[in-house]
Amino acid sequence: MYGGGNTFEALKGTALADEDPVKLAEFEARINRGEKIEPTDWMPQLYRKQLIRMIEQHAHSEIIGALPEGTWITRAPGFKRKLALMAKVQDEVGHAQLLYSAAETLGKSREQMIDDLITGKSKYSNIFNYPAFTWADSCFISWLVDAGAIVNQIANSKGSYGPYCRALERICAEESFHLKYGHHCVIHMATGTKKQREMMQDAITRWWPPMMHFFGPSDKISVHSEILMRWKVKMASNDACRQQFLDMYVPKIWELGLTIPDENLKKNTETGEWEFSEPDWAEFKRVINGDGPCNAERLAVRRTAEERGRWVRKALLAPKTKYVTPLA
Amino acid sequence: MAMKSLDPRVNRLGIPEEKSELQPKGMLDQFETYEAFLQVKEGKALEHVGPVHAPNEEMAFLFAKEQYSRRGMFCNALCVVKTENIFATDFTDDGQDVYNTITASPSGEETESFEVFHLMKRGKQHKYAGDVMASSYEDAFVTAKDHHQDAKPVFNVWICKTDHVLSSDEDDRDIWDTLKEKQYRDAIDYRAQDKIKAFKEEKSA
Repeated sequence: MYGGGNTFEALKGTALADEDPVKLAEFEARINRGEKIEPTDWMPQLYRKQLIRMIEQHAHSEIIGALPEGTWITRAPGFKRKLALMAKVQDEVGHAQLLYSAAETLGKSREQMIDDLITGKSKYSNIFNYPAFTWADSCFISWLVDAGAIVNQIANSKGSYGPYCRALERICAEESFHLKYGHHCVIHMATGTKKQREMMQDAITRWWPPMMHFFGPSDKISVHSEILMRWKVKMASNDACRQQFLDMYVPKIWELGLTIPDENLKKNTETGEWEFSEPDWAEFKRVINGDGPCNAERLAVRRTAEERGRWVRKALLAPKTKYVTPLA
Repeated sequence: MAMKSLDPRVNRLGIPEEKSELQPKGMLDQFETYEAFLQVKEGKALEHVGPVHAPNEEMAFLFAKEQYSRRGMFCNALCVVKTENIFATDFTDDGQDVYNTITASPSGEETESFEVFHLMKRGKQHKYAGDVMASSYEDAFVTAKDHHQDAKPVFNVWICKTDHVLSSDEDDRDIWDTLKEKQYRDAIDYRAQDKIKAFKEEKSA
């Protein structure tokens, strides 16, 4: 699982003018040849810092995303659903570990990233700041939030940074089970009793606005984002990802007789583009800046795990160890 | 006042509403790293799959097993090596073989056994090439040229001491057998097209 809508604003200390022009040209030539960049290769600061930010946010989203779904493990309907959901949540946490390791190869330690998550310095996908009230909410997350994540991840897996691509390949392989499982859960609800259908419909009504926020606001075309696209850091615009998601999943929602709470949602047959009501970006901003229904709880749960797990790590710590960045 | 949540498990934690003073994580609070290598099936070379963080070798092995051989990913053998104990050569460019950058010659002192891993393509992962006897990491690299250089160029070489490798035991191979009743972890177990079809037919009837 993964939150889209990465931030791509300029970062401090990343001016291209400060980079060695010869090395920069070699770096760009390598990417143009379709080769991957590896941890020990020279790379511009902008590339390094933007990738750290992206991969780190992705990792945090996996960790935090496990919380709203984890809520439903003990109350999932039936033994088989419990087993499957548990396996899915375990996968998500495993994904976070793969991603933290990939980010570490760029020079930021995992401790620092986890610190930045629980102090609120780094972001994670905004959608997880909303609560999963019912089992149907959990079904929505497993199917459609994961589907949105896969759109992003498949795009990013064709990027230029070797360790990130390799982590994403593993992640995408596992996500295929999540998506099928989620779809199965939603179909079961949608083709079930009147009460089940109502629950599923309510979940779609609740989650549609955050789902439209998921891919982030329309990206302004700037020199900065053009460079990141050229370097294969940013692989597709937020709008393109959103369009792809709508194209793949709106028909699947409709075929189950469910209603999407946006009367303007339709595919323009001439342009082939989906049209929809402009999402409430003020709400998106408010929630991402900390004022959502679950922001405080999500971070408090992580903080508590951190504080209460400290003695275990302390007991296992070998005092003479020295830090070495993973190789690849 | 404890924080109220929809999740009974969170309520049971009794998290106070007010934030406590948070101590930043210390360096190495999350342990040193180990590189994991996995053999997909018998006869195939061990291949690097990624790192894990662990407090010691045994736990690194367990974490690597969970992380890289979970859920029906084929696995026949696994080994872990502390990152610190891996000697990595420079990367070469433009199809140049890293072995061709060597100017020294082997010492001929066969005091210790080393394991050699090759990166054959950028963006891929290191594969096991074989072992050599030598007197140091650098000497092992030089010696490996004679034993393991191939027609295809090698971009990067990793070398570690055989003593530093923790491998799964041949006799324990059944730890990789996945239980059949774990199909709920596979996409194939979630066929639902019939249900959608039946639903549509019922609706149009």
